Amino acid sequence: MHSVKTMEESSKKPILQLEDISKTYSSKASFFGDTGKEVIALNHISLKIFKGEIFGLIGESGSGKTTAGRLIVKLEEPAAGRIFLDDSEITRFKGKALKDFRLKVQMIFQDPYQSLNPQVSIYDTVSEPLLIHKIDNVQARKHLVLQTLKSVGLSPPDDFLHRYPHQLSGGQRQRVAIARVMVLKPQFVIADEPTSMLDASISAQIFNILLEMREKLDVTLLFISHSLAAARYLCDRIAVIYRGNLVEIGRGEEVIQKPKHPYTQALLDAIPKFGHWDEVESYNTFLKAERDTSQGVGCPFFSRCKVAHQERCSQERPHLRKSDNSHSVACFYA
Amino acid sequence: MSMEKPNKKHLNRFPWIARFLRGWAIYKQNILGKIGLTLLVMFGLMALCSFIPPLIDPMYQPMIGVDPEISCSTGPSIKHWLGTDFMGRDILSQLLAGARVAFMVGVSAAFMSIVLGTTIGMIAGYMGKFIDTLLMRLADMIMVMPTLLVVLILAALFGQLNIWTIVLIIALFRWPGVSRVIRAQTLSLKQRPFIEATKVAGASHVRIIFRHIMPNILPLAFLYMTFRVTSAIITEAALAFLGFGDPSTVSWGMMLQWVWKTGHMFKAPYWLLPPGICISLITLSFYMLGRAMDEVLDPRLRNEEQAG
Amino acid sequence: MALLEVDNLSIGYQTPKGFLQAVEGVSFSLEKGESLGFVGESGCGKTTIGTALMRLLPRNGSVKSGHILFEGKDLLNMSDEEMRLIRWKKVAMIFQAAMNALNPVHRVDDQIAEAILAHDPTSSREDAEKQIEDLFQLVGVPKDRMRDYPHQYSGGMKQRAIIAMALACRPKLIIADEPTTALDVIVQHQILEETKYLQKEFKISIIYISHDISVIADACHNIGVMYAGQLVEYGSRTEVFSSPVHPYTKALLSSYPTLTGEKDKLEPIPGEPPNLIKPPSGCRFCDRCPSARASCKTESPAWAELTSTHSALCSCIR
Repeated sequence: MHSVKTMEESSKKPILQLEDISKTYSSKASFFGDTGKEVIALNHISLKIFKGEIFGLIGESGSGKTTAGRLIVKLEEPAAGRIFLDDSEITRFKGKALKDFRLKVQMIFQDPYQSLNPQVSIYDTVSEPLLIHKIDNVQARKHLVLQTLKSVGLSPPDDFLHRYPHQLSGGQRQRVAIARVMVLKPQFVIADEPTSMLDASISAQIFNILLEMREKLDVTLLFISHSLAAARYLCDRIAVIYRGNLVEIGRGEEVIQKPKHPYTQALLDAIPKFGHWDEVESYNTFLKAERDTSQGVGCPFFSRCKVAHQERCSQERPHLRKSDNSHSVACFYA
Repeated sequence: MSMEKPNKKHLNRFPWIARFLRGWAIYKQNILGKIGLTLLVMFGLMALCSFIPPLIDPMYQPMIGVDPEISCSTGPSIKHWLGTDFMGRDILSQLLAGARVAFMVGVSAAFMSIVLGTTIGMIAGYMGKFIDTLLMRLADMIMVMPTLLVVLILAALFGQLNIWTIVLIIALFRWPGVSRVIRAQTLSLKQRPFIEATKVAGASHVRIIFRHIMPNILPLAFLYMTFRVTSAIITEAALAFLGFGDPSTVSWGMMLQWVWKTGHMFKAPYWLLPPGICISLITLSFYMLGRAMDEVLDPRLRNEEQAG
Repeated sequence: MALLEVDNLSIGYQTPKGFLQAVEGVSFSLEKGESLGFVGESGCGKTTIGTALMRLLPRNGSVKSGHILFEGKDLLNMSDEEMRLIRWKKVAMIFQAAMNALNPVHRVDDQIAEAILAHDPTSSREDAEKQIEDLFQLVGVPKDRMRDYPHQYSGGMKQRAIIAMALACRPKLIIADEPTTALDVIVQHQILEETKYLQKEFKISIIYISHDISVIADACHNIGVMYAGQLVEYGSRTEVFSSPVHPYTKALLSSYPTLTGEKDKLEPIPGEPPNLIKPPSGCRFCDRCPSARASCKTESPAWAELTSTHSALCSCIR
């Protein structure tokens, strides 16, 4: 059993904070009559992540969860809002400040078959961050690489140094990706769907590595996924995101066992019952046929919410409000 | 095990040596590559040996050496292994000189157009937006111009062209094709997660372009280079055959021109066939070389042991 | 007589490195209206079984031994023409990432109509259109979207269109290879529910192939667990899921995080699956098996029957 850090145990000041973040994508009008569209990827998102916790951001495709991760790691810039790491605002970082920032915040990508350069050996891949940040001594670099490879379970590490990605299995590649991230000993790591391309038994290995990382190196982890079950296993707190809006945040076990938002309830209904076929109690909050709504007005889940109240939910957008001390929901009727 | 260590230390100091030896081991396994390389070595020897005949006897000079006793085209003999051309010049020395010219022209033109095309393609692909548009429209304009025609016009305007001018023109007209392909490859690479991962690790643009994008592009660039060599050799041969080559340079195309112009096409197979066969074989061997090198440079194409 | 009876099926692929024994000695049967799920991780041979049932193995694949009896006739002995008549009319297949199988330059109803008319030349275009309307209603795609192009459909809609295409000729058996893998959780759930409904309504037998045991368990009457080309456990879903017997099945189940119950530490399976070009003698799982005995390495495991419906390929049971 791994230790569960509650909010009381970890420090009260957040290590990462998103303040009112919004991001839009506009597709250009094409020659063939497609009028340009603006898609709201993230809609005024605010959240706090505390040091040493594993925080889960759970949503389906198109929910904006990957975008949130990319904004934090500065692969893209938000359209509005601010991001804070410890106390410094990182939204406008450039140049040296940006490079120093990269020492502290890293990302594990989803596809282990694409996130390693096929032309580069494992040694070069894992040692590259050290080279970039000028850890000059060749011996020191090699030692760090070997140590990190061992810590992600690639043993004996010497065997892997001169291999290339195509010689490794998916699980091994993902471990190399984790090693590349951990070799710099960052403070904050985003894991963007790290196991969606891997088989179940390999995924389990990766989950356990992530837990170990948190234990031994005191790293704070943002776990982005579509799987509530994986989030329950790994995360201290879970946030559920729907079409760019945070709909529920709370302690992992609470969100799973006592979900308050109709969308979270719909998600839990939809997850395969895993053997508990007799307990067919379901929340039944999902509307099969989508309701007509006007764009941008009202609750984002209104078009699919069976328990919505027509007048209020279609006109007003609910904000996250605390329902008890650690559980917040964006719903008028939760 | 103690034998391993000294070797490894030695290799680690010069990683290029290790990489080259590894590459060679892979290359050796490819049959096409071995045939291609053998042929090229043969042509290379021919090119090197082109200096020998004139040293033996001035009559073996490819351009100006004339056999005092022969003044017409004759068949193979002891003195002239492939016979003589219409002026009494030795065909074998011409063939050897032609090999030298083929390498010079082929490799220089290809190299120049690849360097130009790759650089422009990478910059256009990576920078995008205005620079990309500008460079690609330039490429479009050049691509539509027919090389041969332009050279003919230039020859008509400025008289007979020097061989190096021809090389330069071939290079200047052939880079657009390369740059389009390189640009497309760069564009698709730019989006790949491993490039993003390097950005997240803090890499600069320069590092990304030269350490990550270029090595993934090099196989393509090399492959194109081998095609460019073949096309450069054939272009030069075509120009020479049509009479627009450098008259002071003996190339295989020039030899074919002489055969044709002097009406010996069907009368002197010992004169007609060698240059023709050489052109075909050298282009084939460069192609085979390109295919084998592709396997070396792209780890995924190798037939190696895979785990799992 | 069972709708489908497979007996001792062995399939392999000729690769540059040697002959890959992808499936070995698999036997199972399927009654009319039942659903069977094959579950296993990558490389276990489940997709190979699916393609072999349709006789759509790639050129380097071959059936080494065994019989596939469909309605009493051996599919492996049929001529290409006879097989072509069976495909789509009696047995339909939904391939992996099938939503990418829709041709982007043709309208969706054109593509389905083409499939219908190809297998029933006597029907007219109007008949086909009417059939497509009915099918779309069945699978839950609005009628007014029939004339759209595939790129205008969402992932879930494309998958539904593919299911409609598979149902078009009212087959007796559908083989669905990872039908919901690329879809979101809620859409996946809907499609599985709809498929279960269609199956009951029209008494269609379905073979599901997936790497996700939770999806299979939700959707199928019976489960077959595959490992390294062999069927290692077979039984009803309650039997396999709630009381698994084979060490691999047990290990596989404990690698999935659960939503309810105790939050036990996930036990990943150490090691890697064996190389199928030179498959090991003896039990193929023994290197990774927590309860392996010395004899497991040399002796081939035997089938142990626990009930009339539940059996496992393991010598260490009972």
